[in-house]
Amino acid sequence: MNLGTRKLLDRSFTALGIGSIVIMGLALLVVLAPIVSKGVGALVFRETIEHRKLLSTEFHRGDGRELEKEIALSNGYRQKAFDMLAVFDQELEQMTPERQEQYRESYDQVKTALRGLLGPLPGDTDPELARNRYGQTRWDKAEEKLRELLYEQKWDYSNPDVIAKPYDVSRAPGFAGTSLVRLFPYVEQNLDKMLLPEWTFYWGFITDSSIDAHFFGGIWPEIQGTLFLAIGAMLFAFPLGVIAAVYFTEYARDGFLTSMLRSANSTLAGVPSIVFGLFGLAFFINTLHVSESKSVLAGSLTLAIMILPTIIRASEEAILSVPKTYKEASLGLGSTKWNTIMTVILPAALPGILTGGVISLGRAAGETAPIIFTAAVSVGTAIGLGDVLSSPTPALSWNIYNLASEHEAAAQIRHVQYGMVLALVTVVLLLNLSAVILRARISKKLKG
Amino acid sequence: MPMTLEATEPKKSKDSSVRDIYLPPERKKVSGGGVPHVSAKNFSIYYGEFEAVKKVSADIMSKYVTAIIGPSGCGKSTFLRSINRMNDLIPNCHTTGALMFDGEDVYGKFTDEVLLRKKIGMVFQKPNPFPKSIFDNIAYGPRLHGIKDRKTLEGIVEKSLRKAALWDEVCDRLDKNALGLSGGQQQRLCVARTLAVEPEILLLDEPTSALDPKATAKIEDLIQELRGSYTIMIVTHNMQQASRVSDYTMFFYEGVLIEHAPTAQLFTRPKDQMTEDYITGRFS
Amino acid sequence: MQNSNGMIDDGASKQGRSSVFIVSARKRKLQKISQKSGEATLFLIASFVAIIVLFIFWFVARDAVPFFDSLHTFREFFTSSEWYPADDPPRFGALAIIYGSLMITVGSALIAVPMGILASICLSDILPFNVRQYVKPVIEMLAAIPSVAYGFFALVVFAPLLQNSGGPILMWAWWLIATPFLLLMVIVASELLTTSIAKGAMKKTAHLGLILILGALALLLLYFVGNHLQGLMIMSGTNALNVSIILSFMALPTIVSVSEDALQAVGRDLREGSYALGATRAETIIKTVLPAASSGILAAVILGIMRALGETMVVWMASGNSSHIPDPWFNYLESVRTLTATIAGDMGEADQVTGSARFHVLFAMGLILLIVSFVSNLISERIVVRQRKVLSGQ
Repeated sequence: MNLGTRKLLDRSFTALGIGSIVIMGLALLVVLAPIVSKGVGALVFRETIEHRKLLSTEFHRGDGRELEKEIALSNGYRQKAFDMLAVFDQELEQMTPERQEQYRESYDQVKTALRGLLGPLPGDTDPELARNRYGQTRWDKAEEKLRELLYEQKWDYSNPDVIAKPYDVSRAPGFAGTSLVRLFPYVEQNLDKMLLPEWTFYWGFITDSSIDAHFFGGIWPEIQGTLFLAIGAMLFAFPLGVIAAVYFTEYARDGFLTSMLRSANSTLAGVPSIVFGLFGLAFFINTLHVSESKSVLAGSLTLAIMILPTIIRASEEAILSVPKTYKEASLGLGSTKWNTIMTVILPAALPGILTGGVISLGRAAGETAPIIFTAAVSVGTAIGLGDVLSSPTPALSWNIYNLASEHEAAAQIRHVQYGMVLALVTVVLLLNLSAVILRARISKKLKG
Repeated sequence: MPMTLEATEPKKSKDSSVRDIYLPPERKKVSGGGVPHVSAKNFSIYYGEFEAVKKVSADIMSKYVTAIIGPSGCGKSTFLRSINRMNDLIPNCHTTGALMFDGEDVYGKFTDEVLLRKKIGMVFQKPNPFPKSIFDNIAYGPRLHGIKDRKTLEGIVEKSLRKAALWDEVCDRLDKNALGLSGGQQQRLCVARTLAVEPEILLLDEPTSALDPKATAKIEDLIQELRGSYTIMIVTHNMQQASRVSDYTMFFYEGVLIEHAPTAQLFTRPKDQMTEDYITGRFS
Repeated sequence: MQNSNGMIDDGASKQGRSSVFIVSARKRKLQKISQKSGEATLFLIASFVAIIVLFIFWFVARDAVPFFDSLHTFREFFTSSEWYPADDPPRFGALAIIYGSLMITVGSALIAVPMGILASICLSDILPFNVRQYVKPVIEMLAAIPSVAYGFFALVVFAPLLQNSGGPILMWAWWLIATPFLLLMVIVASELLTTSIAKGAMKKTAHLGLILILGALALLLLYFVGNHLQGLMIMSGTNALNVSIILSFMALPTIVSVSEDALQAVGRDLREGSYALGATRAETIIKTVLPAASSGILAAVILGIMRALGETMVVWMASGNSSHIPDPWFNYLESVRTLTATIAGDMGEADQVTGSARFHVLFAMGLILLIVSFVSNLISERIVVRQRKVLSGQ
């Protein structure tokens, strides 16, 4: 090969390496961008008057008098739409049964869509579920509902080789010649006056509990559950891990037993997380009976076992990175070994140990598989600190799965799911960020 | 009056005990010094199978400065570190023979190495202050040994820093991190830290090897200051340094103590051919 | 410390004076005992990890063994892909599930291993230090993002994208990746062929001709494969491809950081030796550094693959969970089901009947995962130890 080709190959090799790093960076961006942008939408959005009604009745927040004025205002516009429905109801009664039948299905769809937009219609019985008691609380969702009102979705099966594609058909022509035809342009033009949207920052998403399986409200029970589980896991794993690391670095002699213990540590680090869940179920719940069934305690113990190897490794590294001279100096001054560890080595290794601890805390907060069988429930209210020994809890990680995959109306509450993911990712990444900062400060401090 | 090894062990190798101190005119005789403070008798140190120090017999004279020289790997550091049992940190390290300090067996069954190290302080090659304030560095030892009172500690800190000739340089920033000091200052801080626990012996393991000439001179001055108050042993690579600071010199080669004599004598009229070759630079 | 009343304590009182550091036999004994007991306590706490590992094996195996009570179930489990645990009698053929696990593991390894090794080379040998400082947090963040967040992304963002415009995406991916590769191959191959077939004056024309012929072939390949990919119909966005891609990015941080350590351990003198002989950087890395670091990189690959095999949430949410072997067997556009997802998903229903065959079969799957992870961990550990020995010259 001549030199030109060799150089070309060299350049391409460099490009490949840089390319793969760039792809990793891009992947991070691609994953985080929708989570952040849409997750923020759970907190910052255009809330409709329905949302203010909800906050007022469910959480007793907001200015009651102001709200009543707004309700009066929006009801003025709503009434006209309701009047149109009433007029059409009368028209319908005078029609022949065949014509009635012709409109029946489509009219029901219109009414359902209108209920979704504005809440219960006049004459409806008071709905049992909170989701049916209010109209759309978010303007972006209201616009989607408006589409449902204006258009009917049909599927195109014409090409048998391709998967059927949906297309929209306007509803208005179906009611041509009746009074209802005026409803569609009226609602389209006056929806903002019926719902009175305004931008809001809904702090309550973090601090409120959920209403009607996350149709409304916030995610506080999940956040609290995640905190309980992660902190509980740390309470068990951190002291154990640090002490074990002290043993490995300062006391263990090279030998068969020590190498067995080290092997056990790396084996534990490699166990798939779902197996921890199985073990937690079989050992903590079915054998030790730490609680009747799932509980925060059982989940914390399971998570603690999972993060133990990480803490041990990080602490070991931190202790080993303490200059040996500190130890010599301390022993040379007539300090005992234990005293040296407590007063010189551990303080110097503390930032490193904390870094490992903080990263493990993030891992405990983010893991799902170990808590599926041991601690997590899909619905539930926030539990008190006194209940951690016996009650299960909702948790961010598990509820993200649950809402996205198993919720009856997963597609309708995407914003809640995004909000939860954002909350979880924020917690975990902030913990990691603080670990990075801690680490940067170690080297500074050691340099003086 | 401590019992000397000589009294119990009459048979001695020729070099190991130097009774009549040969001092050059500029070095003053130390009052109350010159009795064996540390005595080794057939003392060997092993790393596993390897015999790093071979059957050394020697008396270290109290309150004088003894330098240990020899090519690297000759066991001089090992010997020094064995005196306050720092070698215990190394796995597989064990000793045979006897090493007595003030007539007590350093490696005896009932020796508390923590108390021993309190009596025999050590300063290491590289300055190794703790990442704490200057005050806390000095007070570390006294605190270990039970002194809690702030006033007493302040007194000890000042006294130790004065002895180490560092007080004037750091008295206004005792609460600053010790790692902010210069290398030479750090090393004097380490000496002060050692002095604060009131040892009888100071072991200096190449204390100037990481320092520039100016800082080295200051440490050497400090050693001269401390001579007469402490028994000092210094391992050094630098033969000029040995001849400048020490009263006695021990020459090690491949773990064997070749010659132990008053410094002026060893450097001018070495008895052993190997010593002569070494100090004249024929090998190093 | 000081036996002032002159108690008879072996060495201490011989001199008949207060001793400096010799303590009484009793005190020494007490010291020794407290030291030893302290050390024993520490040892007990440190061996807690080993006890837990034993317990994990024991308790998972204890609930797995009842499932394999007869040879029939054992054979069915490994050879049949009929997974109907709710039927009467239930059918527990896990072949398709095991195959699904294997498939997504291989798929993610195919993406993550080359990328991970290249990225680690880039980190250790190519990027300057100040750039590296910014790349490391990116890798750490990739590792830190919780698996359920990846799963959510795969299910809610990536799967619809793949379902609606998977064909064009695959086509563009193919073009972007394959074009530079093929171009390079054309140049290198034509040059190599020229030197072997033509001599002297013929050389230039032969070279040009070869470039033209090979270039045309490459273009045709690009076009037809791209066309085929664009025409692909993706029935469901939750499929093996989706999961493999997401899992590969979850496995990457492990591979990159462990193999970077291995590359760093190789040392500068080896590299300098190669540069001094006139090798380019790529040649130095491929011919000198990589072979020296190969075992460490292998360990990194094993660890990364284990991460993909043991991952639960992403596969549960985005693999489609259909228990069948894709047709043809390499069709990554079909839904699959994995061991981890089966355990997570079926335990909900099996939970009420602790002790049923359906409960035990999930533990059997857990046991398989556990054994595979244990063995591969052992292997990678051995490899790392061996490399350390080789590098330190033992």
